[in-house]
Amino acid sequence: MRESLHRIYVLAKRNVKEIMRDPLSLIFTLGMPLAMEILFYFLFHGMTAQFDMKYLAPGIVVFSQAFLSLFAGLLIAQDRSSAFLTRLYVSRARSHEFIFGYALSLLPLVAVQSVLFFVVGGIIDPSIWSVGVLWCVLLSLVTALFYVGMGILLGSLCTEKSIGGIASIVIAGQSLLSGMWFPPEGLNGAILTIMRCLPFKNATELMQRALVGFTNATDFFVPFAVVLGYTVVVIGGAIYAFARKMQAK
Amino acid sequence: MNAIDIRSLRKEYKDLVAVKDLTLTIEEGELFSLLGVNGAGKTTSIKMLTTLTRPTSGDALIYGNSITTHPEAVKGLVDVSMQETAVARKLTVEENIDFYADLNGLTQEEKSMAKGEIYEAFGLAEVKDQRASTLSGGWQRKLSIALALVTRPKVLFLDEPTLGLDVLARRDLWRLISGLKGKMTIILTTHYMEEAEALSDRIGIMDKGSLRFVGTKEELYAASGKTSVEDAFIEMVSGGKKNA
Repeated sequence: MRESLHRIYVLAKRNVKEIMRDPLSLIFTLGMPLAMEILFYFLFHGMTAQFDMKYLAPGIVVFSQAFLSLFAGLLIAQDRSSAFLTRLYVSRARSHEFIFGYALSLLPLVAVQSVLFFVVGGIIDPSIWSVGVLWCVLLSLVTALFYVGMGILLGSLCTEKSIGGIASIVIAGQSLLSGMWFPPEGLNGAILTIMRCLPFKNATELMQRALVGFTNATDFFVPFAVVLGYTVVVIGGAIYAFARKMQAK
Repeated sequence: MNAIDIRSLRKEYKDLVAVKDLTLTIEEGELFSLLGVNGAGKTTSIKMLTTLTRPTSGDALIYGNSITTHPEAVKGLVDVSMQETAVARKLTVEENIDFYADLNGLTQEEKSMAKGEIYEAFGLAEVKDQRASTLSGGWQRKLSIALALVTRPKVLFLDEPTLGLDVLARRDLWRLISGLKGKMTIILTTHYMEEAEALSDRIGIMDKGSLRFVGTKEELYAASGKTSVEDAFIEMVSGGKKNA
């Protein structure tokens, strides 16, 4: 157990360095969402509720997490396409240790995303400061796990060349099916049902409700259960796919 | 003492038999070269012996440990440098060595010792703070092979270690591989016949998944009636049709 935890730590440390030394990953996970938060607030604030900072900041946090699926996937696909992972497979590390090594390496970035977007949001609109911000930061770890798990799954299945296109579907899904840019209640019933069944809207609503305050237990449990369910399925699938690829090597 | 004892090792992929009942023993400290054209089954054999892929049937013992029933024990005895350069590109040379040592559970003392030996043997000290991605192909390959030595394996598999390198870098690596002879058992696959000729204690020739010949250079010359490994190899795998 101790040896296993040590290997997960060593793998995560290496992955953190790989990610932090890629300027593109920092631009897309931090720079661009931050610019959107500031720009969209000042351009559209007051037009619809989505651009009030209490809804925009948590929405941006989840949106920025969608890019983690791209960068986690890219890192794994690159490791797979080179012989680097093959070398590591000869070590005593197991497939679940690789998965946790990849997942844990992104959690510091998740924490930075949450803190950065809420601090900037709070500077622009101080009314968002409440205990809800702490809830949001905690829950962002859960929503992030879904996107990181999705990245690991895609990275295990896709090639280095195809991962960009496939992961952009996840990012587009988060953008278009989360209701973060427009009021989803205006859409027809079928689309709204699909949005409710997918994790994107649930992840965004979970964070938004955490910030403004849950009005009842259902407000919390329904989106939380949907996101958690998808996360468990995606991470389970990622471990299976990764282990299959290891064996195929 | 036998370092490797391969017993009827076989690998099938759907309709393709990649390795056909390979049987072979390799002595401790020997440098054994496995030759063959593309698709002969060399890399598949290495993947089975390093536990990267499971054999369809048969078994192999690495210092008495079965690759099928005790793969974890085998992992502690072997390391491999694959055809492609296998380094973490955004880490420095030193970080690469530290990472691989830590992943394999080396103590600080063992790590320092391994690092010192590697720097000395491969001349990597001068580029230790450079990221792997900024190194030339030759230096990257050196680092890739060096990483396989971090764990001080008892058996080292080198799968086409000089593939794609210029003649100077190749000769440099030959010198390094020669320096390892006797310190560990080495299984080398290569397409360069002069490489096998210069480095090997014994040579094995694989063709279409089967082992056609095993012996010393001299035995190979005698068996084929030729005076170079290249000519003997062509004789063995194509019956002397050099341009076939």
